Amino acid sequence: MSFEELEHTADARFRIRAASLGDLYSEAARALMDVMYGRPGEDGQEREIEVDAHDPESLVFAYLSEVLFISEVGGFVVSRADVAVSDTNAKGKLHGEPFSPEKHGGGRGVKGISFSGLSLRREDDSYTLDVIFDV
Amino acid sequence: MLPGIQSLGPCEWEVPLGYVPGMRVPGVFYLSPRLAGTLEEGAVRQLANVATMPGIVKRSLAMPDIHWGYGFPIGGVAAFAFEGGVISPGGVGFDINCGVRLLSTPLEEKDIINRRELAERLYREIPTGVGGKSSLRLSGKDLDSVLVEGASWAVRQGFGRAEDTEFCEEGGCMEGADPAAVSEKARARGIPQSGTLGSGNHFLEVQVVREIYDQAAASAFGLVPGQVCIMIHCGSRGLGHQVCTDHLRVLEAATKRYGISLPDRQLACAPLDSPEGRAYFGAMAASANYAWANRQVIMHRTRKVMEDLYRVPQKEMRLVYDVAHNVAKTEDHLVDGKRLRVCVHRKGATRAFGPGSPGIPAPYSHVGQPVIIPGSMGTPSFVLHGTGTAMEKTFGSTCHGAGRVMSRTQAKRRITGREIRESLGKAGIVVRAPSDAALADEAPDVYKPSAEVVRVVHEVGLSRLVARLEPLAVIKG
Repeated sequence: MSFEELEHTADARFRIRAASLGDLYSEAARALMDVMYGRPGEDGQEREIEVDAHDPESLVFAYLSEVLFISEVGGFVVSRADVAVSDTNAKGKLHGEPFSPEKHGGGRGVKGISFSGLSLRREDDSYTLDVIFDV
Repeated sequence: MLPGIQSLGPCEWEVPLGYVPGMRVPGVFYLSPRLAGTLEEGAVRQLANVATMPGIVKRSLAMPDIHWGYGFPIGGVAAFAFEGGVISPGGVGFDINCGVRLLSTPLEEKDIINRRELAERLYREIPTGVGGKSSLRLSGKDLDSVLVEGASWAVRQGFGRAEDTEFCEEGGCMEGADPAAVSEKARARGIPQSGTLGSGNHFLEVQVVREIYDQAAASAFGLVPGQVCIMIHCGSRGLGHQVCTDHLRVLEAATKRYGISLPDRQLACAPLDSPEGRAYFGAMAASANYAWANRQVIMHRTRKVMEDLYRVPQKEMRLVYDVAHNVAKTEDHLVDGKRLRVCVHRKGATRAFGPGSPGIPAPYSHVGQPVIIPGSMGTPSFVLHGTGTAMEKTFGSTCHGAGRVMSRTQAKRRITGREIRESLGKAGIVVRAPSDAALADEAPDVYKPSAEVVRVVHEVGLSRLVARLEPLAVIKG
């Protein structure tokens, strides 16, 4: 399970790899936190999350957009996600901690998740997600 | 120059039909030989992708600050006919009505003796950065008024002066705003962020007018050499970002229903006269109004600080102009000799209406509208004016800034925030930001040289140089 920042001139582009879709979703949320707060959060609190979409890539878009919303509005820094993912639905919990300026300041606001450059691939026993966060 | 691109003249290049399958019109972009090395193939492909969209008129355009974005390239401009044309959030961007305003003061550089204190005061009064919360306590009803009235709402609440709105594009209020098309989520993001600067490339700068290039235009705009001005660069914050996200999802599904095939899902669009297209326009206009109110509140707080510190009466600090550089607007343009109503998308591009055009404040009508081009951190910003050439070539549009050339990852490897702070300090520029890390992302050399970008639009005639401003103090989000 990993996330890696790739080159992109204007925005934050990530490649995320995991053995399962659930792990991929968790790691993608951590990548988003890495941009917003300089690092992911730590466990402690939980938030419910559920999203629907019409295909797997739209689902990733909807899910990460929802993580961004929960984090920004609720001041919640996600440490990991525990979600069950099908082709059109993702449901479960986000773990994390409340935002504190001393610990989580200095990141960069993410405006949204881009459909451009969004790709989700399954190769043998692993999943790879490429995604661009607009900063 | 990259393969497949043809020269149309000095600094003007064509991306011919067929560069990507399905192009309805050619692409045209403006770039000097010096900037040619900064051009990314991905940005040209995005410019060509826009040319495949239904109802696009004449050409898909990009300004010299063109770079790889999502959907449209940054610096992209396209006009769509109301008959058969579409509207797309990918042609506006997440930060709806990101824009710039310039406030002039009667102060001179020598009057700003305590720059560090000034920066500190401004930083305290104007919430910045990730998690920066507004001291405004907007109710849901207040927010509805903001979304419909824009800058006028702020003025009515005592944030600024009545004449300020005259010096904003659209009078600081876009018609057609539909608060009902703005989701609860967008409202939840927008309410606590009203009056905040945000992060990324957004800033507030205290600047000095270092050079005047066009005396007559500068006089009309009220700018003189050595004068202290304040530039504010920000947008519609989380509200606009969420509107883009929400409508992108809706339009992504609608695109297929309307039988539109696109090379990039971020170009998701719907006919201008469809329910989905109209809903996006109404939500986008509401977000644009939120952004104008936001910049109005920030400007008012800036005036208060300047009044407190330097005893300048507020009425002597005049709003020169406020431009929007991420927006779609209904405009009339001459196309092949006929007047045509179009929806002009400008994504990282500034309106540059020439002399006598409608919608320009009366004192500026003989010159053309002011065009405000923010520099990157520590580099000069420019004021230009709109031209007839822009009306003919680019639907009255010009560049919006410098345009990035280096990724965040590269930038962080090259230089630290502390080094940037120190080097700016040596040049006499005070920087105040939530952290040094935020500075590294925005190092001056991660952008194209702003002077070269404006030189291209000046030489092509898409706008003409009026003044150069240099920073004295920078507040970064």
